Amino acid sequence: MNIDIRHIAKLARLRIEDDQFEKFEKEMQNIVDMVENLPDIDEELALDENDPMTLREDCAVTDKYTRQELMANAPQVKAGCLVVPKTVE
Amino acid sequence: MELYGKNAAELSAMLKNREISSVELTESVFRRIDETEEKINAYVTLDRENALKSAAEIDARRAAGEELSPLAGIVMGIKDNISTKGLATTCASKMLADYKPPFNATVMDKLAAAGVVVAGKLNMDEFAMGSSTETSYFKPTKNPYDTDRIPGGSSGGSAAAVAAGEAVLALGSDTGGSIRQPAAYCGVVGLKPTYGAVSRFGLVAFASSLDQIGPIGKTVEDVAMLQTAICGHDRMDATSARREYPDYFRGLENNAQGLKIGIPKEYFGDGIDGEVKQKIMDAVKLLEKNGASVKEISLPSADYALSSYYIISSAEASSNLARYDGVRYGYRAENYDGLIDMYEKTRSEGFGDEVKRRIMLGTFVLSSGFFDAYYKKAKLLQRRISAEFSDAFGEVDVIATPTVPTTAFRIGENTDDPLKMYATDICTVTVNIAGLPALSVPCGCDSKGLPVGLQLIGGKFTEQRLLNAAYTYEHLRGGFPAAVI
Repeated sequence: MNIDIRHIAKLARLRIEDDQFEKFEKEMQNIVDMVENLPDIDEELALDENDPMTLREDCAVTDKYTRQELMANAPQVKAGCLVVPKTVE
Repeated sequence: MELYGKNAAELSAMLKNREISSVELTESVFRRIDETEEKINAYVTLDRENALKSAAEIDARRAAGEELSPLAGIVMGIKDNISTKGLATTCASKMLADYKPPFNATVMDKLAAAGVVVAGKLNMDEFAMGSSTETSYFKPTKNPYDTDRIPGGSSGGSAAAVAAGEAVLALGSDTGGSIRQPAAYCGVVGLKPTYGAVSRFGLVAFASSLDQIGPIGKTVEDVAMLQTAICGHDRMDATSARREYPDYFRGLENNAQGLKIGIPKEYFGDGIDGEVKQKIMDAVKLLEKNGASVKEISLPSADYALSSYYIISSAEASSNLARYDGVRYGYRAENYDGLIDMYEKTRSEGFGDEVKRRIMLGTFVLSSGFFDAYYKKAKLLQRRISAEFSDAFGEVDVIATPTVPTTAFRIGENTDDPLKMYATDICTVTVNIAGLPALSVPCGCDSKGLPVGLQLIGGKFTEQRLLNAAYTYEHLRGGFPAAVI
């Protein structure tokens, strides 16, 4: 299977520099070749009946974080808001 | 022997009897760090001041007559993908180099309640993706048994710190072998608990259906003690199992009588180094001589485990790591032109090559038109692998294999060949795929003096039986030579 590295990188929001491209393509091709050995199994995926989903308790969250604490790690903050490039013209 | 060189069980008794104080122990560990850290590079962040402060607090509580947990005053290191409130949690990535979590992982709250002293945060492969700790953005960690060699990974800092006496105990995380493989390479004991036994809340996610936090220590006793403190149901983790857990430390039994050991022939093939194979079989024979029975078993889908693992883990990683976009936390590129350019530059500059490869593989196997050929097949194989293990545990109590096919390789030896690096996980990934508990216990050294790890695998939630088997083996084996640095 040949993979289109540029397309995959775009989907993953990654950019592979031109001088790195050949090396990356080769490595990715080797990895994909490695994982291609899986046999066909004529079964369907199903949820495990022995491990049923349970809902968590419906109660109020008591953790108290301040706005400042939660925003302290943001790269850019202005007037209590996260700053991002303009997305709407 | 210096305090830093003693194991946790011993130190726990000494602290309880007030033969030593936690401040003395903490000072001893930091003196050792001052001596050896330059050669080992186990830590990303040291927290000396707070460590000494919490040690003094524990000593004061003990002096006041308070009944404390067995871990109170013991000095630990924490893998740097486990969230520690206010203390940098970098995942050894440029992406999170300045990130300080506003909350604690559940395991950190549990350790704080137990009175553990945290020395600092331990180096790892970037986002836990790697088998040598060489993909760390900061520095490679060295193996205390030979500093020209890797300590394994991804919890390489955790295993190396314990082996070097730079921490009495450590927490690691294991997605495909990341606790057991470095434990094997560094001559220490590492347990990957059953999926769901330890809360993953606050563990920075890599592959959520496989990730599990677990203990690393010098002995089985130490690991049992730490596992008892960290396991348990947690409402903050939807995958956490609702059940009661025993005190594994108190439950330890030294007895091989009646223990049924399975030897899966698929794990002893050509890829396994001859000396490693010999050490594993010697260990099994020692248990057999003392009352265990040994049986050859078959786990035929093992050949497909590595592929299934890399498909499932990378698919989940590509989704989990989508959150690193330079908006709410973490690195953001300096110059960009619009939102998409900011995302792409931030992620391209913030992630290292191995993380990029995994994200790309995951994106590929989940992309339109390829899902059935890769991800679906891998998930079907996961079911088959689990069923094979279930069948095997109908016949045997524990399964014995090498933890890793070889002993520790040289720094730089496999960095240009991702496939060779991935192959070091061949004996450990099946355990994560099936959600089972497994541990690595040192079973001797090869002719180069490098430790070999015996992997013991158990059925779901049979940690006590697994620890007992390892504890019994450890007694039969006798002491293990400490690393000379």
